[in-house]
Amino acid sequence: MAEYTLSVNGQSHTVEASPDMPLLWVLRDRIKLTGTKFGCGQGLCGACTVHLGGEAVRSCVTPVSDVGTKRITTIEGLDPHSAHPLQKAWIEVDVAQCGYCQTGQIMTAAALLARHPKPTDRDIDQAMGENVCRCGTYLRIREAIHRAAGQRKEVAP
Amino acid sequence: MTSRRDFLKVTGAAGAGLVLGLHLEARPRSGETTKTAFHPNAFLTIRPDGTAQITVPKTEMGQGVRTALPLAVAEELDLDWSKVEVVTGQPGPEFKSMQTGGSTSVSTTWTPLRKAGAAAREMLKAAAAARWKVGTAQCRTERGFVLGPDGQKLGYGDLAGAAAKLPVPKDAPLKKAADYRLVGKRTPRFDGPAIVTGKAIFGLDVRRPGQRFAAVLRCAVIGGQPKAWDDAKAKAVRGVKAVVKVPTGLAVIADSTWAAFKGRDALAATTTWEEGAARDFSSSALAAKMKAALTGPADDARREGDPAKVLAAAAKVLEAEYSFPYQAHATVEPMNATTALSEGAAEMWMGSQSPNRAQERAAATLGLKPEQLKVNVALIGGGFGRRLGTDFSTEAAQVAKAAGGGPIQVVWDREDDLRHDLHHPATLHRLRAGIDGAGALAAWTHRIAGPAVLRSWTGGQKAPSQATTETNGAYDIPYAIPAVAVDFAEVEAPTPLGWWRGIQIVPNVFARECFLDEVAHALGKDPLRFRLDLLGNRGIVKFGRDKADIRRLKKVLEVAAAKAGWGRKLPAGRGLGLACHAYDGRTYAAEVAEVSVVKGRLKVHKVTCAVDCGLVVNPSGLESQVEGGIAFGLSALFSQITWEKGRTVQTGYHDFPVLRLADMPVVETHVIPSAEAPSGMGEPPVPVAIPAVLNAVFAATGKRIRKVPIEDGLI
Repeated sequence: MAEYTLSVNGQSHTVEASPDMPLLWVLRDRIKLTGTKFGCGQGLCGACTVHLGGEAVRSCVTPVSDVGTKRITTIEGLDPHSAHPLQKAWIEVDVAQCGYCQTGQIMTAAALLARHPKPTDRDIDQAMGENVCRCGTYLRIREAIHRAAGQRKEVAP
Repeated sequence: MTSRRDFLKVTGAAGAGLVLGLHLEARPRSGETTKTAFHPNAFLTIRPDGTAQITVPKTEMGQGVRTALPLAVAEELDLDWSKVEVVTGQPGPEFKSMQTGGSTSVSTTWTPLRKAGAAAREMLKAAAAARWKVGTAQCRTERGFVLGPDGQKLGYGDLAGAAAKLPVPKDAPLKKAADYRLVGKRTPRFDGPAIVTGKAIFGLDVRRPGQRFAAVLRCAVIGGQPKAWDDAKAKAVRGVKAVVKVPTGLAVIADSTWAAFKGRDALAATTTWEEGAARDFSSSALAAKMKAALTGPADDARREGDPAKVLAAAAKVLEAEYSFPYQAHATVEPMNATTALSEGAAEMWMGSQSPNRAQERAAATLGLKPEQLKVNVALIGGGFGRRLGTDFSTEAAQVAKAAGGGPIQVVWDREDDLRHDLHHPATLHRLRAGIDGAGALAAWTHRIAGPAVLRSWTGGQKAPSQATTETNGAYDIPYAIPAVAVDFAEVEAPTPLGWWRGIQIVPNVFARECFLDEVAHALGKDPLRFRLDLLGNRGIVKFGRDKADIRRLKKVLEVAAAKAGWGRKLPAGRGLGLACHAYDGRTYAAEVAEVSVVKGRLKVHKVTCAVDCGLVVNPSGLESQVEGGIAFGLSALFSQITWEKGRTVQTGYHDFPVLRLADMPVVETHVIPSAEAPSGMGEPPVPVAIPAVLNAVFAATGKRIRKVPIEDGLI
């Protein structure tokens, strides 16, 4: 067990954890930020996606000891007013069904938009390809990303 | 049964505003025949501040009940939707039947919810009329206000207290569909804002003071038990608090989920197993038994005419075998439940499609009466029928009982979830079609062999409805064929089973609609024309317990085909395929898939779907269900669960693939306008997706796929 001081959503948190504890469980069980979800624990579904130093990472396979001083951003801290263009677009397009995977989808999409502010369908296919949605909301995810990027006019959900 | 007079009552205390309790007719339970006390099982509260709270008696799992059901109330009551709060009920005397499945939530609650909204509206109008000393008929409502004849205006909140003292009208008039302001308009999901900000609480997100976490080490072999183990290594993992034996295995209790997983893995290394009777079970052994069952005894689900005689005399007989594998639900939120024990009582948090059953069984486990166990129904991170099961909630109660103390969350990992799913079983189908001398389809037989899902619901008993349940989608084949025989040959398997999105209709309609396509091609007929001709000029047709309106089925078929451009010329390697079904005779769906096969790789470009589900409450929700249902069906084309030595071969998303974004086709949904009462949309789009795609593969390549999943190199 060791002590780690993490920068999460602009706040400093000091937690006790074994070095191999994935960041996911530090966030969920120690810091009680449950917006980051557990889906597979193997980096295959993307439900646990957070930003580490601005890059989208799978927190379920990122040991806390690898985090260091890098900024961690979770869905709770994506936007100070919870009004990131993607969050707004997600509501307007009515993307979510069960909603469980959507925070991970949004975090992956946010990293994509940071790199490619005007992504093509192909960019979206590639960036979002490792995020599972068992409810099958994919068409709306694509639509909401385009919309957040300002590439779609007003469309009904 | 509650008398009609008791359908609605004011149940609120003074000062709370207006609280209406309404009783939604659940399917009456056996023995429950006499009048009982009024037990409202849905609530509508109008608070003095003008906000309204609607309690829904069903669980939300992504199908949109926390939006669609409140919309029915809000429509009749003319509520300001932005001031509506939605809460989910809790199982108990008030909510006796929260079971959520079978695409029934809207159809069973639509009318009573509207009546409650209408009654409240009339009470608020009467309260306003009394205050203004005008006639009630002179008042009208608009977005949370009552408006008087001379420009008077009062908010519902100001009137709620006075309205609560008035009698509840017996037959408040319902709005005409033409006057709907919310129903039929696109309304984004109520939980959307909470979901996209991470504030929505799913079962796994429950965090109670002092909460611990548990992982259960289960035998990979079905029904296996630990024989010997040494918990020293598990207890040496930092954070592990205890190791306890539970009926399903060994539970490791820890201060974090990670420590529980690590402890469980350490324990696994020291554990030997009594694998039990299922240790020799395998998919190949089951396949041989299913093959044998194709010619053995079976239970009739439908028998009309004399198919054997017609086949014997037929000018031509076509025959084919179709097979569909075991499937998993693979919800992204793995199974979990949280239990907190206290003196003579307990509280649980879970995502459950069967909250009442879960409560009864967990309470029995804990030695409590159901009313001593409070069950909080969380949002569900994927249901698809998996969470109709109570295995995971009962196990959570067992862990809490064995470990004692404060709240414990039992967390399944992905491998637990896939291996110990309540899988949907494999089936093998043999179909025969007899063509008479005039080239007409004169006989149809469909034998289905496989394990019976219904037994998972009847405590292992063979129910009288077993044959029709297991052949659902096959026995109700809607085409006019003079001689028909559909039967079910049960094959035993030790695997725990459960319902799956689309239930048995998925494999059965796959076999039915693909084989019908084969018959059409064998006769040189266009598959659309062939189906329309076979449906004929009929109205409502009965099949045993179900009936379907053939006109509505033909309509969706025609619309889907027209919108997809059926019959248009396509480049080589591209094809269109179609399929249709009348789901439980209530929801009609037809899909046309456009696919291409390039270098053996299947690409589904587009699925055009036409549906008739009666009146549409929320078009956005409906289209979500169509898109999601098609994705679920397409996913099944490439996934399967297989068994070796009594355990699943598959352990995660790496070998049980689910559809990804890049493979999602364009989906176009066309709704047949209807004034019929709403039916359901959660499952109906799933079963037709698979045959539509496989029929399109045939059109594109000439290759007939009769086995799911599609094997590598098959196309």
